[in-house]
Amino acid sequence: MINKLPQTKTIICIGTGGVGKTTLAASMAVGWAQQGLKVLVLTIDPSQRLAQTLGIRADGELHRVQLDLPTPSNQGELWSCVINHKKAFETFIKTAAQKSKHANTTTGTSEAELEKLLNNRLYQQLSGKLSGSQEFTSLITLYQHVSSEKFDLVILDTPPSQHTWNFLKAPEKIALLFNEGVTQWFRDISSHQVGFLQKVMNIGATQVLKILETLTGSEFMKELSAFFKAIQNWQSPLETYVMNCHRLLVSPQTEFILVTTLDPSRLNEAYKLSREIKTQGYQLTTVVINRVPNWLAVKFSTDSQRLNELTSYYRDLEKNLQKRLTQFKTQLKVYKCFDLRQNSEDVRSLQKNFDQLQLVE
Amino acid sequence: MVKKAHLVTGKGGVGKSLISGVLAHYLSLQNQQIILTELTEQSFFKDFLNLPEINYKPSPWLPHISVCQWSPEDCLKEYALHLIKIESLYKLFFENPLSKSLIQVAPGLYELAILGKITSSPRHHGPKMIGDQLVIDSYSTGHFLSLLRAPHAMAEAIKFGPMGEQSRGIDKWLRNPDFTEVHLVTLAEELPVTETIELALQLQSEFGIQSKIYLNKLLQLTPADLEKIPPAASDIFYPVAEQEKLFAHQLQKTGLPVFQLPLVTSTEVLPIIRSLSTALTQQKQHEIRA
Repeated sequence: MINKLPQTKTIICIGTGGVGKTTLAASMAVGWAQQGLKVLVLTIDPSQRLAQTLGIRADGELHRVQLDLPTPSNQGELWSCVINHKKAFETFIKTAAQKSKHANTTTGTSEAELEKLLNNRLYQQLSGKLSGSQEFTSLITLYQHVSSEKFDLVILDTPPSQHTWNFLKAPEKIALLFNEGVTQWFRDISSHQVGFLQKVMNIGATQVLKILETLTGSEFMKELSAFFKAIQNWQSPLETYVMNCHRLLVSPQTEFILVTTLDPSRLNEAYKLSREIKTQGYQLTTVVINRVPNWLAVKFSTDSQRLNELTSYYRDLEKNLQKRLTQFKTQLKVYKCFDLRQNSEDVRSLQKNFDQLQLVE
Repeated sequence: MVKKAHLVTGKGGVGKSLISGVLAHYLSLQNQQIILTELTEQSFFKDFLNLPEINYKPSPWLPHISVCQWSPEDCLKEYALHLIKIESLYKLFFENPLSKSLIQVAPGLYELAILGKITSSPRHHGPKMIGDQLVIDSYSTGHFLSLLRAPHAMAEAIKFGPMGEQSRGIDKWLRNPDFTEVHLVTLAEELPVTETIELALQLQSEFGIQSKIYLNKLLQLTPADLEKIPPAASDIFYPVAEQEKLFAHQLQKTGLPVFQLPLVTSTEVLPIIRSLSTALTQQKQHEIRA
């Protein structure tokens, strides 16, 4: 079993790919729902088995999961949702459009304008077709559900990315995109107001645009300009929204849990990450060493060379972990989670997974 | 001059970087000069391979292998400098804080810059590279297709001008089996195997690429080993052995070459790479004979 801080309303599971973040996030959700909380778990890419357990499709909708466990009457609720990136981005854009309508009724965004924006190639790319903005859409989905205050606890399984920074830097990157300066540059390109453009812009900016045009071609610049023209009214609501997302990440009610495995290079990465993350002011409280082979505890002798090799290899990894622990444990709680090699990921086995989490002494 | 580019991909955590190192080692034994590179902003190789430093320019690692890190930003800088030519203009562009956000909103630009760098030798474009073959520790399966699609998408969007021209050139070399090889790394587990098969089929139909598959970290227990498992541990090892057989079979059904690599029980990286490189050499020879 694993403990969270009493004030925590949001849990963010971080760690490199392949460490079992998703299953762990689901296990914690089941565990805490079982303790009486109303929990939502947001996942990105669940395995088929897990998706079946949680009864979910990648439609971005909330699904109630039957806990179906023999427990006392005070049991909570478990909800799950697979983030749909395209939909999340669209919701984000539409919310901004609506807010700008309230702020400025005369120049509010019309349906036609909104439609135009949604068809803009740049927007389509942004919403995940080419470069993928999964980090950002995960974050806005998280923010949306935390701020709805419908849940006691929201758990996010972060997207597989090169580096957790991509996720943490998402608000900053998007904020840059909606930066007042950038937007202003582009507003007038397509309207051929060259004189005006030259007046408002300094030489440097003009040069920058020229270079960008050399790099990308004029057609692309037209698209870019149309995109910024479309969003100019939404700038301030978008900025507020992005700011709120960032606040959520650094809130004292948000807890980060770092998931890793026994693998030496993974442990090393995890250690570096934990230090960076603390320095940046995020509340990292816990490290979970996942997929620890549970057969290490089983004493056996055999004359199979391969089996003996494997056993001593994993014992070496555990020794290696003990060395690392002194580094981790100065500020963090370290748990280990055994690899149960379960063939199913039903609610019961997730619960079992949660129950067997143990604090490393 | 680089005559071949090996792109290595796989689901996060399956051992892409390790297999990239193994592939570089294996190729270097064939009297080839290898450039091993990663495409990240934060280097993984530096710690993993225990290098004193890692830069955009390759630095020596093992005999006939040099290692470098190509961040998208560096590739774009090189491309821009090549195109703009005037140093001061280039500085004005890249040292402007707003430029960075512009580049981030220009979708596909980073991908294009990276692929431009990878294919620069056969296209005779950009600075010369010293090496015969490139091994690229590439993006994970999720991002890999968008990387490969970028040139075509860009060529469609920009029909004219230098960028459209170059995008078409890059796309052509990516589809050339004599130049580009794709290596898919997976574990004997449900999610990575499913992703690998899907990606292999997609690469085949969309780009005509015949990928090679590497099944990594296998326990490889023989029937004799299985017989020697004590009852206390049989619940653990039997299912794993069965999974390994099952997934190897599933992957082989694609008709693509599947290389089966064992979990090497060492905690040091270099012995692991050497041992897997030997295993790979044996299996490749076997494949050639067959």
